[in-house]
Amino acid sequence: MERLGTLEVKNLSKKFRSRNDELTVLNDINLTVQPGEFISIIGSSGCGKTTFLRLVVGLEKGYEGEILLDGQRLNGPSLKRGVVFQDHRLLPWLSIEKNVGMGLKDAKSDESRKAIQEHLELVGLKGFEKHYPHQLSGGMSQRAAIARALVNRPGILLLDEPLGALDALTRMYMHQELERIWKQEKITMIMITHDVDEAIVLSDKIVVMSSRPGTIKKIIPVPLARPRDRASYDFVKIKEEVLEEFQLHTEHPFTYTI
Amino acid sequence: MSITTNVATFIRTRYHGLVSFLALFIVWSAVSHYELVSAEYLPSPPAVAKAFVKVIKSGQLGVSLGSSLVRIAEGFFIGTTLGFLFGVAMGVSATAERLFAPLFNALRQVPIIGWIPLIIVWCGINEPSKISFISIGAFFPILLSTFEGIRSVSKSYLEVAQVFEYNRIKLLRKIVVPGAVPNIVSGIRLSMGTSWLLVVWAEINTRSAYGIGDLLSSAGDGKKPDIAFVCIIVIGIVAFLINELFGHLEARLSTWRKSYR
Repeated sequence: MERLGTLEVKNLSKKFRSRNDELTVLNDINLTVQPGEFISIIGSSGCGKTTFLRLVVGLEKGYEGEILLDGQRLNGPSLKRGVVFQDHRLLPWLSIEKNVGMGLKDAKSDESRKAIQEHLELVGLKGFEKHYPHQLSGGMSQRAAIARALVNRPGILLLDEPLGALDALTRMYMHQELERIWKQEKITMIMITHDVDEAIVLSDKIVVMSSRPGTIKKIIPVPLARPRDRASYDFVKIKEEVLEEFQLHTEHPFTYTI
Repeated sequence: MSITTNVATFIRTRYHGLVSFLALFIVWSAVSHYELVSAEYLPSPPAVAKAFVKVIKSGQLGVSLGSSLVRIAEGFFIGTTLGFLFGVAMGVSATAERLFAPLFNALRQVPIIGWIPLIIVWCGINEPSKISFISIGAFFPILLSTFEGIRSVSKSYLEVAQVFEYNRIKLLRKIVVPGAVPNIVSGIRLSMGTSWLLVVWAEINTRSAYGIGDLLSSAGDGKKPDIAFVCIIVIGIVAFLINELFGHLEARLSTWRKSYR
């Protein structure tokens, strides 16, 4: 199957209405994501980044503007878009293998079994087929969730702070894993994060959002060769550029107190 | 695991429970041995053992226990099936909840025993009345626990189902009901307990056929406390075993939940 996955977002606005109040969560978002691109959306909490992702997934309805996937307007959730949530959301009563097969029409067919096996191998969980979610660590659970999201071979994978709940070391390891999976699967990925390093390590482009209402403040390309070195000059330079958007930049990035 | 190790583990883990049984038995033996209470009121352990052998040999115990168990099974089956179906309907549909919840909440307040006169008027004093009575008793615990169980299934799993384009049937089969299983099983256990209570009660009060309650009741009428003792011990043991069985089932089906909460 040809994997496309061009996402076009045009003049997207989203308002939440309560009885006598109206809150604009997203205002005039314009974004194009090319097939195979890795995009990170970064912003402080409350900037509407999760709402944006939920709109693209189709879990949130009622918006102004357009969200087009390969030219087609989105209409509710679809198997063409895989999702990884911050909490892995594996069903605790199903084995890992059955969790991964959740999205397959006939999980018992030879074809499905093969797909489940391949994706467990892809995320490095071979041998854990019969385990249950409570027997896995946070990082392993999140990998199983990634396998589950990819098993239908969606054109685009949406990740909502997928590594947010992991400890720092596991997170760095998962960055490598995610990059490897992205390269191997040649899939479009859009990731929500609040971790600047994570965004720079993984992304082709970083979308910086500002809050109330959520708008795109700046799109910062990351033209660095992969795998990326967190200590390199260029990396730190880009980090500066991102942090500047949050008024968190240091005046002299290379003056360290010893 | 072999049977002997099973028994050994059972004795080790239930040791304290056995002590209390043993203590009661010793007190009972002593009281009857020294005739602190007349044998007319408190039969001695050997007398009870003799009565036990007698009712087994005559087939009375087997028939009585058998008919009571059949009644329990029938009433329990009808009650839990209906309770489960209404529980699922009210759990998944707000409309069904609005329609039925007030009615069931009102009916639930009526003590089960309060139904007896009406049931006798409607169903007579034979089998149908006993089975209806048990069904009503078994209905409410499973209804409530199924409803609660379904409502406790996290919304985040429902979103996962949406992402995978599950239709309503698949959502119910794959997410809603499995997620409610631990609650449902504990509801079944409660229903089973109520069924035992009610079968004995119904048999004593609407006596008409064989049953452990009938045996108990005739023992009272005939001033045969030894038979009554046999009945009580048998009810205790059988109900205990059934409860253990469901307890194991519950523990087994809920391992995932325990490790989560």
